[in-house]
Amino acid sequence: MRPYQLATAAALIGVAAVAMVDSRRWALIDASGAVPGGIGAGFYPFWSAVLMSGSALILVSQTLRNPQAAKGVFEGRQGLRDVLLLIIPMVVAIGIIDKPLQLGFYVVAALYMAFFTRVVGGYRPQWVVLSALVVSVGLFVIFEQGFRVPLPKSFLYDAGVLPF
Amino acid sequence: MEALGNLAGGFGVALQPFNLLMLVVGVVLGLVIGILPGLGGTSGVAILLPVTVYIAGGGNATAAVTLLAGIYWGALFGGVVTSILFNIPGEPWSVALLFDGYPMAKRKGRPGFALMLAFVASLFGALVAAVFFTLFALPLARFALEFGPAELFAVFLMAFATLVGLESGSPLKSITMLGFGLLLAAVGFDSITGEPRLNFGRVELLSGIGFIPVTIGLFGIGEILASAEESGVGFMEKISAKLGLKDLLEAIRELRKRVWMLIINAIIGFWIGVLPGTGATPASFLSYGIARQYSKDKSGFGRGEPAGILAPQASANAAGVGSLLPMITLGVPGSPTAAVIMAGLFIWGLNPGPLLFTEQKDFVWGLIASIYLGHIIAFAICVVATPLLASIMRIPYALITPFIVLISIIGAYAASNQMKDVFTVLVFGVIGYWLRKMKYPLAPLVVALVLGDQTERELRKALIGSGGDPTVFLGTLERPFAGILMAVAIGLFLLPVFQALRRRGRKAPDPAAEQVE
Repeated sequence: MRPYQLATAAALIGVAAVAMVDSRRWALIDASGAVPGGIGAGFYPFWSAVLMSGSALILVSQTLRNPQAAKGVFEGRQGLRDVLLLIIPMVVAIGIIDKPLQLGFYVVAALYMAFFTRVVGGYRPQWVVLSALVVSVGLFVIFEQGFRVPLPKSFLYDAGVLPF
Repeated sequence: MEALGNLAGGFGVALQPFNLLMLVVGVVLGLVIGILPGLGGTSGVAILLPVTVYIAGGGNATAAVTLLAGIYWGALFGGVVTSILFNIPGEPWSVALLFDGYPMAKRKGRPGFALMLAFVASLFGALVAAVFFTLFALPLARFALEFGPAELFAVFLMAFATLVGLESGSPLKSITMLGFGLLLAAVGFDSITGEPRLNFGRVELLSGIGFIPVTIGLFGIGEILASAEESGVGFMEKISAKLGLKDLLEAIRELRKRVWMLIINAIIGFWIGVLPGTGATPASFLSYGIARQYSKDKSGFGRGEPAGILAPQASANAAGVGSLLPMITLGVPGSPTAAVIMAGLFIWGLNPGPLLFTEQKDFVWGLIASIYLGHIIAFAICVVATPLLASIMRIPYALITPFIVLISIIGAYAASNQMKDVFTVLVFGVIGYWLRKMKYPLAPLVVALVLGDQTERELRKALIGSGGDPTVFLGTLERPFAGILMAVAIGLFLLPVFQALRRRGRKAPDPAAEQVE
C-alpha cells in the first residue's frame, strides 16, 4: 500500500505545485493599490494550492514514518480485471460519440447496452438487441423529443438515414 | 392575525379548479425534470415560461405562477431520487444527499426508507419555511438586504467550518481534498477581473471545471468502479423488500426524534434561501455539517445515517421556498430559478415589490397558499411512487450499470452541450475510484468545488467595497452582523480542535492507535 499512498500524495503535490507556479502573480496581498480590494486573481488559487500541498506533504512524512500493512492495493488479479472490464468499454464508448467516428450518443447507447448485456450479463441475443433498442429509443423519445435536450447525433443523422 | 386571514383568502384562490390543476401539472412536470439528469428546476421553469404567457393572458396570473412554482417544488423533490438510487445528483442541491442517501440505499439495502426520509424532510422543511413566509415576509426581506458581501462571506465560511471534520478518517486527507476542490473551482476566468487563470492556454478550460460533471464522475462512476472491484462485476446488494408504508412510518419516527434539529436547519435553510444569490445548494451543505457536528454519534455519517439525509433535504427545500420571498417582496430573486419566475412576473405585467402585496393581493396570497399545497401534492405523489422507484434497485446489474453510465453522460453533456464535460466525468470517475481506494474523503472536495468560487467572490467584493480594509468583516455598530457571523464561523473552525484537545486530555495517548491507518 505504501508506494501507492506515496505516489498519490506526490501526484496531488504535483498538481498543487503547477497551480502555484501558474498563479504566482498576485499571490500575495497587494498593498500598492494596483489591484482593486488588494486581492488579485492569483491569491485564492495560490493559497488553496499551498493548503493542498502542505497537508499532502505532512501525509507523505506520516506515511514514511508509520509501518504499513503489507497488503496489495488491488483485491487480487480479479479485482483489477473487473475494474478494467468497466473502464475500457466506457472510454471507448465516450471516445466514439464525437468525431472522428461520430456515432452519436444514441447509437453508442445501443452499442454500449448490447456490449454490457452480452459480455457481463450473458443474455441471449434477442434480449441483447431488445434492451439496446429500448434504452436507445426510450432515451431519444424522453430527452430529444420530450424535453428538447439536444445530444450529439451520428453521421447517419447528418446523412438523413437515422433520426439520431 | 391579518396574515392568517389573507392566507385563507389565498387558499380560496389556489384551490380554484384551474389553479389547482396548473399546480398539479407543474408539480408532476417538476418531479420528472428533477429526476432526469441534466434538466434542472431552472431550465424546466424557463422551458415553460412561454406557455405561461397564454395562461396569464387570460387574466389569470395566479395560475401561471402556480404552474412555474409547482415545477420548482416538484424539482426540489425529484432531485433526490437519482442521488439516492444511482449516486448521481439530479440537482445541485441534492449533492449533499450523496453522502448518506446512497450508502443507505445501497450498503444498507434500504432505498425505500432513504427516499421516504428525503421526502418527509422535504415536506417538513418546506412547511416550516412556508410558515415563516406567511408571517414575516416583508420584514425578513428588508433584513436580508442588510446582508452584503462581508456577511455572505461569513455565511460561506460557516459552511466550510462545519464541514472541516466531515469524515472521521484522516483530517489531513480531508484538508488536502478541500484544497484540491478550491483549486478546481478557481480554474477558468477570475470572476472579478476577468483574467484567465489555471487554464494553461487551453480555450476549453476557460469556462472552468463544472461541479456537475465532477460530482457525477467522483460519485456515480467512481462508485461503480469501486464496487466492481470490491464485490466483482455483476454483484447485487440485497435490497429490503419492505412495504412503503412501513418505511414512511419509520421515516416519520426518525424525524420526530430530531424535530428541533430539523426546525433549526429549516430556519437556517430558509434564511440562506432568502439571501440574494445563494440558493439551496450551500444551505444543504451547511445543514449537513451542522447535523453531523451536533450528533452524539458521528460514526454513522457517510454510511447511511438518517440525520444525514433529513437535515440537508429539509434545509434545501426551505431554501427553495425562501428564495421566492425577496423576489415577491422586493424584486430581488434569491436563486436562479426564482429569477426566471420573476422574469415571468414581468412578462405577465406584474411588478414584484412591496406594492404587489397591496395591489395584487389575490396573486401574492394565492402563490403563498400554493407553497403549502404544492409541497403536499408533491409529497403525496412521491410517497405513492416510492415502492416503484425503490424497485429500480432490483434491476439486474448488467442492465442497470450501463444505464447509469448513459444517464451520467447525458447529465454531464446536457448541462453545457460540451463533450468536454463528458470527458470530465470519465477522468473524475477514475480519480474518484483511486482516491476512494487510497481512503481520501470525496465530500470535502465536492463542497469546496461548489462553494469555492462564490466564497472567493464575496471575499473580494467585500474588500473592494471597503477599499481593501479588512475591518469590513468585523462589522460596525449599525451593521454588526458581519462581525457576529465571522465570530461564529471562527468558533466553528476551532470547535473540533478544542474537542480533540479535551479528548486527548481525558485519556492518555495510545501509541498503538496512532499507527493504525
